[in-house]
Amino acid sequence: MDRTQLLLALSVALFAIGLTGVMIRRNALVMLMCMELMLNGVILSLVTFSEQTATLSGAVLVFLIFVVAAAEIAIAIPIVLLLARQRRTLDVGAYGDLKG
Amino acid sequence: MNLLTLIVVLPLAGFLLNGLLGPRFGRPFVTAVGCGLPILAFLATVRAFLQLQAGGGDDPLIQTAYTWATVGDFKFDIAFYFDRLSAVMALIVTGVGSLIHVYSTGYMKDDPSYARYFAYLNLFLFFMLLLVLGRSLLVCFVGWEGVGLASYLLIGFWFEDPAKAAAGKKAFITNRVGDAGFLLGMFLIYRTLGTLDMDGINAAFAGPVLPAVSASLIGVLLFIGATGKSAQIPLHVWLPDAMAGPTPVSALIHAATMVTAGVYLIARLHGLYEHAPEASQLIAVVGVATAFFAATIAIVQTDIKKVLAYSTISQLGFMFLALGVGAYGVAVFHLYTHAFFKACLFLGAGSVIHALGGEQDIRNMGGLAKRIPVTFATFAVATAAIAGLPPLAGFFSKDEILWFAFASESGGSPLLWLVASGTALMTAFYMFRLLWLTFLTPSRMSHEVEHHVHESPLSMTGVLVVLAVLSAVGGFVSIPHFLEHLLPLPGVHHELEHYETPLIVLSVVLALAGLAAAFLIYGKGLARGEALAARFPRLHKLLSGKYYVDELYENLLGKPLNWISERVFLGLGDRFLIDGSLNGMASLAQRAAGRLSRVETGNLQFYVLLAVLGVIACLAWIWRNG
Amino acid sequence: MSLETLLLYFFAAGALLGGLLMLVARHPMRVAIALIGSMLSLAGIYAVLGVHVVAVFQVLIYVGAVMVFMVYVIMLLDARDPAFLERYGRVLVPGAIIGVLLAAVLGYAVTRGAAQTGAAAAGGDDRAFLVQPFSAEFLQQYWLHFELTSVLLVAAVVAAIAVIKGGRRNDG
Repeated sequence: MDRTQLLLALSVALFAIGLTGVMIRRNALVMLMCMELMLNGVILSLVTFSEQTATLSGAVLVFLIFVVAAAEIAIAIPIVLLLARQRRTLDVGAYGDLKG
Repeated sequence: MNLLTLIVVLPLAGFLLNGLLGPRFGRPFVTAVGCGLPILAFLATVRAFLQLQAGGGDDPLIQTAYTWATVGDFKFDIAFYFDRLSAVMALIVTGVGSLIHVYSTGYMKDDPSYARYFAYLNLFLFFMLLLVLGRSLLVCFVGWEGVGLASYLLIGFWFEDPAKAAAGKKAFITNRVGDAGFLLGMFLIYRTLGTLDMDGINAAFAGPVLPAVSASLIGVLLFIGATGKSAQIPLHVWLPDAMAGPTPVSALIHAATMVTAGVYLIARLHGLYEHAPEASQLIAVVGVATAFFAATIAIVQTDIKKVLAYSTISQLGFMFLALGVGAYGVAVFHLYTHAFFKACLFLGAGSVIHALGGEQDIRNMGGLAKRIPVTFATFAVATAAIAGLPPLAGFFSKDEILWFAFASESGGSPLLWLVASGTALMTAFYMFRLLWLTFLTPSRMSHEVEHHVHESPLSMTGVLVVLAVLSAVGGFVSIPHFLEHLLPLPGVHHELEHYETPLIVLSVVLALAGLAAAFLIYGKGLARGEALAARFPRLHKLLSGKYYVDELYENLLGKPLNWISERVFLGLGDRFLIDGSLNGMASLAQRAAGRLSRVETGNLQFYVLLAVLGVIACLAWIWRNG
Repeated sequence: MSLETLLLYFFAAGALLGGLLMLVARHPMRVAIALIGSMLSLAGIYAVLGVHVVAVFQVLIYVGAVMVFMVYVIMLLDARDPAFLERYGRVLVPGAIIGVLLAAVLGYAVTRGAAQTGAAAAGGDDRAFLVQPFSAEFLQQYWLHFELTSVLLVAAVVAAIAVIKGGRRNDG
């Protein structure tokens, strides 16, 4: 298996693991962390392709993704905390308002 | 507008005027329109008759009023046909009809629905004239149904009484059963002969080559229609119940005109029936059986109108007997004389009922001869006529029927003659019984009723006198000879010819015997009659119960139909299938919605799972389809 | 097998291990540590590839800011929360199956696609991804994008304040 294939396979694996984690873990913060893992998998594939074709725009895009990820986490965590404070638990099973 | 159309349209105009404007303009208007227009129609008929006779009497007047429909190659016209037979019928319908209209002005004087009555009566005249003057069987059928409708409306005239309304329904429904046969006959005729014109039908059967259809089949089907309209067995059950209507209605519709429509139909299509021996035989047998059967019931009836009703059924049976043995002209002759004396009898009964303030049971009458002499005299003349005493009208017509029943080459037989003669004997008996018990025996009336007995007004007694005179002298106009070119008399067996005079004498003897028996049993009152009834209780019960035919029909047809309606169509069809499927679909939608809403669990991770599942499916699909 | 390939395999295994540990660890702190490990392995991969800029930014921003923030938050929370004790939600089994299915499907696409495209065009300037050349290029060609990200960050700051302030008001 050559380098590109390996890295892409790794990227897919990280993405799948992250998605599985979002589906099966009960803690809201752990879910957020799994989403970060998904994002990392995607960044890896972006870097692989960028390095392969030696285009700079791939790396620039990666840089911008970092910025966005940081901004996103800065907002997401307070929101989760507020929700947790309201329901008095981080258990996502308790956030069932969409039922019915 | 041509003359024949005018005859037909005048009563229709009367119906519309009285029906729409009558209540607004009051009694004089209604009387003028309601009586005047039929009299005008009578005069127009006389004019047409004179026109016909002026041309030699053998060329019919044919006038078309309107083309009803043109379907491809087929053209259906409303056309009128006036030959000697139509002339006789139309003169009876308009003449006796006008007389009865005049009588009604007196009889229905105090009724609140005066205008509606005359409107319906004119409507009836319109339809009856359509029936009688129509050239095509289709126009005749429109008139046929129309008189059924008018009959229903008039029988149930006092519809607030549910029993009377039910009688109207019974008449209409029984007629409809017969009409099914009529329609089938018409369809068969049209399909095989291509025309519904009555002269065309007769012509088709008069030629050297007969059409390729069973004339007897058509004959039987049309006879079924006639059975319904003319109250023969087994569709006779409506006529006695029809006595619930006003008495002039009973006189006009159920004695003189509507019930004779069946006789007219068969007489008109004589060309067909001459080639239908099986059908003719059937007609003769049914006719004589009905005559006998009805006469036996009439013997024990106690309501004055019911006696006359069964008498009508019996006399109609005689007419069909004549038709069945090929003596079409003789049947029409009897129709003509019967119109006079039966109308006179019914109107006389109406006069009696009017005098007694509504009493119809003859057990509560008696001694009226001196108190209402005009009514008594006319009633007596009409009774003698129906019994067949010479030289009154009934003698001539009935005698010819008996003769042809005995000797006709087209189906006459001594057996038919025997039963018919027995019926004639019974006819004389029950009619004189009626006369004696109503007028000549000592009074059995209650005191208040006796006080009020008074002779009827001139509008009623005048008509009675006219009809009585016609019953007396009408027989001298020999209708069979008048119609002979059109309706030839059947041949008689040679070897039987010398029986003619003895049979005439015998029939007079029977009439007198009936008179004597009635006088013997009922001359002094009810006592002897009741003793006689007590000696044969079961027979008396059978006859009083009218052979339980109504009960038979109720159990055989009425109850099963009701059961099917209720259980099968209502319970199963309507509630279970239709309502059930609708409700089922509604509840199906509800339950499906309930089940489907289980997808909305509120669990976020479940939603993610479904989304991923969708993504996988999309990817797989894309890759499979390149 | 060259050193480069060996290192690549090593770091890949590390990333994968970190990811799997995330799924099975009970305490969120352990999950965070596993994630940090995974991210550091990824940084190593970027370094081996020669994309130094991204590797550095991965460590600085992702591990240094994001994950540290995460760790602080976890430390501040109550350990007796039932979510800390129960690991898995209700869709454990179906979720696991779907995850495997997704990995299989995507992996199949990757291996099949790579075989078709074959070896990518190599070449180009390897030195372009080092820090100095990259930043020169970045701030010359992509300065507008850079400025726009600052706008985004301001928006994020405002949002954070709004969330906290509003939340505090609700809380009384």
